[in-house]
Amino acid sequence: MSNSYIVFGRRWTAQLTFAIGMALIVVFSLIPAVGIVVISFTDIRSLPFLPVRWVGLENYRTFFSSAQLAYNVAALQNTFVFAFAVTVFQNLIALLIAVLLNQRLKGRNFARAVVFLPTILGVTVIGLIFSLIFNPSAGPAAQLWSMFGASSAFFGDPSLAMTLVILVQVWSGIGVAVVIYLAGLQAIPQELYEVADIDGATGGQKLRHVTIPLLAPSVTANTLLCIIGALQSYQLIYVLTGPINPATQVLSLAIFTQGFGGPQGGAVQSQGYAAAIAVVQFIIVAIISLATLAYLRRRETAL
Amino acid sequence: MSTLPVTAVPTGAGTATPTSGRPAAESVGAPRRIGLTAVSYAVMALVIVIYLYPLLFLVNTALKSNNEFLLNPTGIVQSPQFSNFVQAWQQGNFASYMLNSVLYTFVAAAMGTVMSLMIAVPVARGYVKHPKIWMGLFASMLFLPNTLVTVFQLALRLNLYDTPIGYILIMASGVGVGPLLIAGYLNSIPREIDEAAAMDGCGYLRYLFTFLPKLMMPVLSTAFILQAIGVWNDIILATILFSSQEHWPVTLGLFNFKGTYTSEWSLLSAATMIVAAPLLLVYLFLQRYLVASVVGGAVKG
Repeated sequence: MSNSYIVFGRRWTAQLTFAIGMALIVVFSLIPAVGIVVISFTDIRSLPFLPVRWVGLENYRTFFSSAQLAYNVAALQNTFVFAFAVTVFQNLIALLIAVLLNQRLKGRNFARAVVFLPTILGVTVIGLIFSLIFNPSAGPAAQLWSMFGASSAFFGDPSLAMTLVILVQVWSGIGVAVVIYLAGLQAIPQELYEVADIDGATGGQKLRHVTIPLLAPSVTANTLLCIIGALQSYQLIYVLTGPINPATQVLSLAIFTQGFGGPQGGAVQSQGYAAAIAVVQFIIVAIISLATLAYLRRRETAL
Repeated sequence: MSTLPVTAVPTGAGTATPTSGRPAAESVGAPRRIGLTAVSYAVMALVIVIYLYPLLFLVNTALKSNNEFLLNPTGIVQSPQFSNFVQAWQQGNFASYMLNSVLYTFVAAAMGTVMSLMIAVPVARGYVKHPKIWMGLFASMLFLPNTLVTVFQLALRLNLYDTPIGYILIMASGVGVGPLLIAGYLNSIPREIDEAAAMDGCGYLRYLFTFLPKLMMPVLSTAFILQAIGVWNDIILATILFSSQEHWPVTLGLFNFKGTYTSEWSLLSAATMIVAAPLLLVYLFLQRYLVASVVGGAVKG
């Protein structure tokens, strides 16, 4: 190791290219990341010529102040509901689909390709497709509702909007999870099932004692990816219900609306306040993902 | 594992008889096996329908005239109107948005991949000091906080606000798992190759930019594709970094189109189709590659 870096004579070319690459990443990715913490202690605004003052913990006090608390607690609640529901449903359904498509079925490659499709289509296209499906006046969902004598505003209905957003997120996110589970399933050595057969194991026992323990790393990977993604996701919610819909207000969207107002305008505090929300969110994401990781790793060894 | 995705139709998969596949040499009784397979096919057909129905409905709506949509919003189209596409294309200015998106996606993902290569190779090979610390930094780059505000301020203060260059630089710097993937892949390439290359008089730059890429094409394309999907999908950063419409990517253009033509669903659907069609086409040809890339990236991450 220690003398290997003299392979290419002059070391400075390696160091120079490394420095160039690193410099760009530091300036445009790492400095903004660290800067969020710094900025959260200021009253920086979106106009460049205003003076910036240090305000200490004021932004954090505002976050927990009585004026903002209800809004923020609601945003927190929405974030948790969204992340929890998406993680659970996406993983469960993806696991079922993966087990299904791991069988020797005709057309399973087609099914896999179709399930993965939303990943490629992207949030705006998906958002528009589901706005069309859940169009309150003339969409197929409205027709289905009317068959039961009901009607709904769908994304405009505060009690239904979150459920629908979760549904669309699960629909579009399952593809990736399925593919990860399928990779995990295919990595399980076939001999283990043959041995289990010789021992006279039933299908259920094989699932419990071979498939599930050996699939545990994929479950960990998927759950973690999903939790981190869902706690921070907002693009789809933004496209489906707009930036200021209280029923689907999540923390990430709060950062956007508080910092930039959004196209329809909104309660704009200073961007320092938006940065403080980002810090709070980061701490929450860190705690939850580390706790989940620790829990799942323990489960993995226990299985 | 090698059949092309779009050769079968959903109904075909649904009505397939449960006789396919290698007969399972298991102790489970034959009738139960067939019943189980039938259930599997039924569930698979259901999954396919759940995924294809929204797309087919989109196509169906895109072909309707406004009148036909008002009279019969959910039925199958009677007289297909291709003029919707022409109208959407012209009114939505999609040619320029699409061009922007292609440019941003390609340049940012390519830059990001080259940057990942430039930083990952010397770290994985120990050509810079403290490789362990740098690897730790690469891993921590996966868990960065939401940086909307600082990225905006940075662009503003560097005079990069509302410039394609600013947007591209910021998008390119979000390298995500790229460096980790490349470093991991390089560990499977023996060091002796470096030594042999150096012995033959290959300098580091040529080694880095022409010699290694030939060996690492799979992982480089994975890094590229993962980042490209991220850039292509972005709407929020584009919203806060661009004020002039001429710079907008297609995500923003389409979203704005929706705001303008809120109730003209046929036109909106045609616009959505215009954006989705090239993606579907790319997916058709690259499907196996894309899927493999995402798994590779996700599992490493």
